Amino acid sequence: MKLLGENLNIMSVKYGAALKSRDAKPLQELARQQANAGMDWIDLNIGPAGKTGEELMNWLVPVIEEVTEVPLALDTSNVKAIAAGLKASKRQRPLINSIMVRPERMEALLPLAAEHDAEFVGLLWGPEGMPRDENERGALCAELVYKATGEYGIKPERIYIDPIQTPVNVQQNQIMSVLEFMKMFEDIAPGCRSTIGLSNVSNGPPEHLRPILNQVMLIIWKRHGLYSAIVDTFDTKLHEIARGQHKNLETLVHKVEDGEAIDMASLTPEEVKYVKTAKVILGHALYSDSWLEI
Amino acid sequence: MTFQPSKQVYSGKIRELTLGTGDKAVKIGGKSVYSFHSFEGGTPNAPRIAMEVWDKDPSADWPEAARSPFAGVLGDPGAWARKCVEYGAEMIVVQTKSADPNSENMPAAEVAAAVKKVVDAVDVPVIVWGVANHEKDTEVMRLVAEQCTGKRVGLCPVEEGDYKQIGAACLGYKHVAVASSPIDVNLAKQLNILLGNLGVSSDDLIIDPTTGGLGYGLEYTYSVIERIMQAALTQEDEKLQQPIIVNVANETWKSKEANLTSEEAPELGDAAKRAVLMEAITAVDLLIAGADVVVLRHPDTVKLVGNYISKMM
Repeated sequence: MKLLGENLNIMSVKYGAALKSRDAKPLQELARQQANAGMDWIDLNIGPAGKTGEELMNWLVPVIEEVTEVPLALDTSNVKAIAAGLKASKRQRPLINSIMVRPERMEALLPLAAEHDAEFVGLLWGPEGMPRDENERGALCAELVYKATGEYGIKPERIYIDPIQTPVNVQQNQIMSVLEFMKMFEDIAPGCRSTIGLSNVSNGPPEHLRPILNQVMLIIWKRHGLYSAIVDTFDTKLHEIARGQHKNLETLVHKVEDGEAIDMASLTPEEVKYVKTAKVILGHALYSDSWLEI
Repeated sequence: MTFQPSKQVYSGKIRELTLGTGDKAVKIGGKSVYSFHSFEGGTPNAPRIAMEVWDKDPSADWPEAARSPFAGVLGDPGAWARKCVEYGAEMIVVQTKSADPNSENMPAAEVAAAVKKVVDAVDVPVIVWGVANHEKDTEVMRLVAEQCTGKRVGLCPVEEGDYKQIGAACLGYKHVAVASSPIDVNLAKQLNILLGNLGVSSDDLIIDPTTGGLGYGLEYTYSVIERIMQAALTQEDEKLQQPIIVNVANETWKSKEANLTSEEAPELGDAAKRAVLMEAITAVDLLIAGADVVVLRHPDTVKLVGNYISKMM
């Protein structure tokens, strides 16, 4: 699986402040760390960024490209900022993150993607917000791919469909809907790639328990053919899982998904945690903040 | 080929617990099938009807339809409670409205004394419902727990912010904790786990999922109860196998529609019938979802819901 490092984010206390004060150093340091961690892209999440977005992205892209050759992802809803980032990049074309399936967003951003031959994340967020089930996801996906490939001549492999990760503690059923969507994905969008904002699965649960939720969620997506994921740069184990270095844990989680009987007494404490976590993500057990203790 | 109705496979059971003492003690819960699915298995106890009593005279806040059945007793919680038992209440819920710091803010000792009056006036079980202010509820519930020793009353709401204090009061004086969470199944489960860690036995624990009345979130409460029942009965989620109580009276009667007179809103029909039907519909819906106890205000609602329950059992 390919990985986008999510940590350069306006919401972060440290890097948010650096972005606002145009302080290159901490941002470049982070970019180096992300490159060393083996990220395939560095996500530049500047938020909506209002009037300053264009100038900020124009400043930020060369700052990061100065220290790394890892490709960038321009993560903002600000169309002008995306245009500025595409122009400012002197290396491999950045990934546009993201284009929603809303007429005004598609009409503003698809021409930019076509003009710059930039890959883009197609976020399955429609005119009425988040899709309610796999069928609405399918419909939004088909609409976006049809428009991008048909009207703008963008090749399917330039499109990364994001079916939207929801938190396990409030919208577990939406995770099941994405699983169903992934089963149809090849047929709905042949040749297209996929990605997801993985860490959102653990948005809300206790901070120290976020990694295992992210890790198990990744194992599940991986099995369902997800091409890439937007992830925490500093979760080394997560990266190892993405690269197939924990096959035993993957097998265990697959067993839970397949409803196979598992002899809990034969498992290590770590394996028990993976089984319990897979159960809450897959809805075999109801999530609570103490899910690992019961 | 004869028709075979599909059958739900159950693997869990709601715990049965007792409120009150003596002949009029009431057992709640115990079902091992979805509500009213008598064709699938056992429901040892029919859902119970509780009626509410306020610890202060509510005349100024209540519409005529709610006041008239209780003429002469609204200023006397004990007499009011006895009236409710005449109307068919199997339990009494005392709403300690006078304790509210945003209202009268009566001292805890006086509030507890009023509760004690009710407990002494009737022999049916009593549940004490606080004002969801952690400090004040803790203060009141501690006194109530002590003064009602041996009565096995329910203390509500026990919330994440005060579960240690009120949970301890339940533990110390052998009362029943009513764990209250804000229309969220995951938080309901978590609070039960926390109370369990504190030492509160699952035999002394009821869930209050927080009630949304008709037009004000009823469907959210319905979904949460439904999900709790699924987890409890079909996923062996032993942290959620607790009886459920819903505070229907308070939530339906405070709505705008329940308080508009027939003259103010002729298009909404007769005011008295309207409010009673709003209360009855909310209660019946939540009973179907899985509630074990409904808290009601009006005797006509008690009749309607009572008839419904007896027909469905």
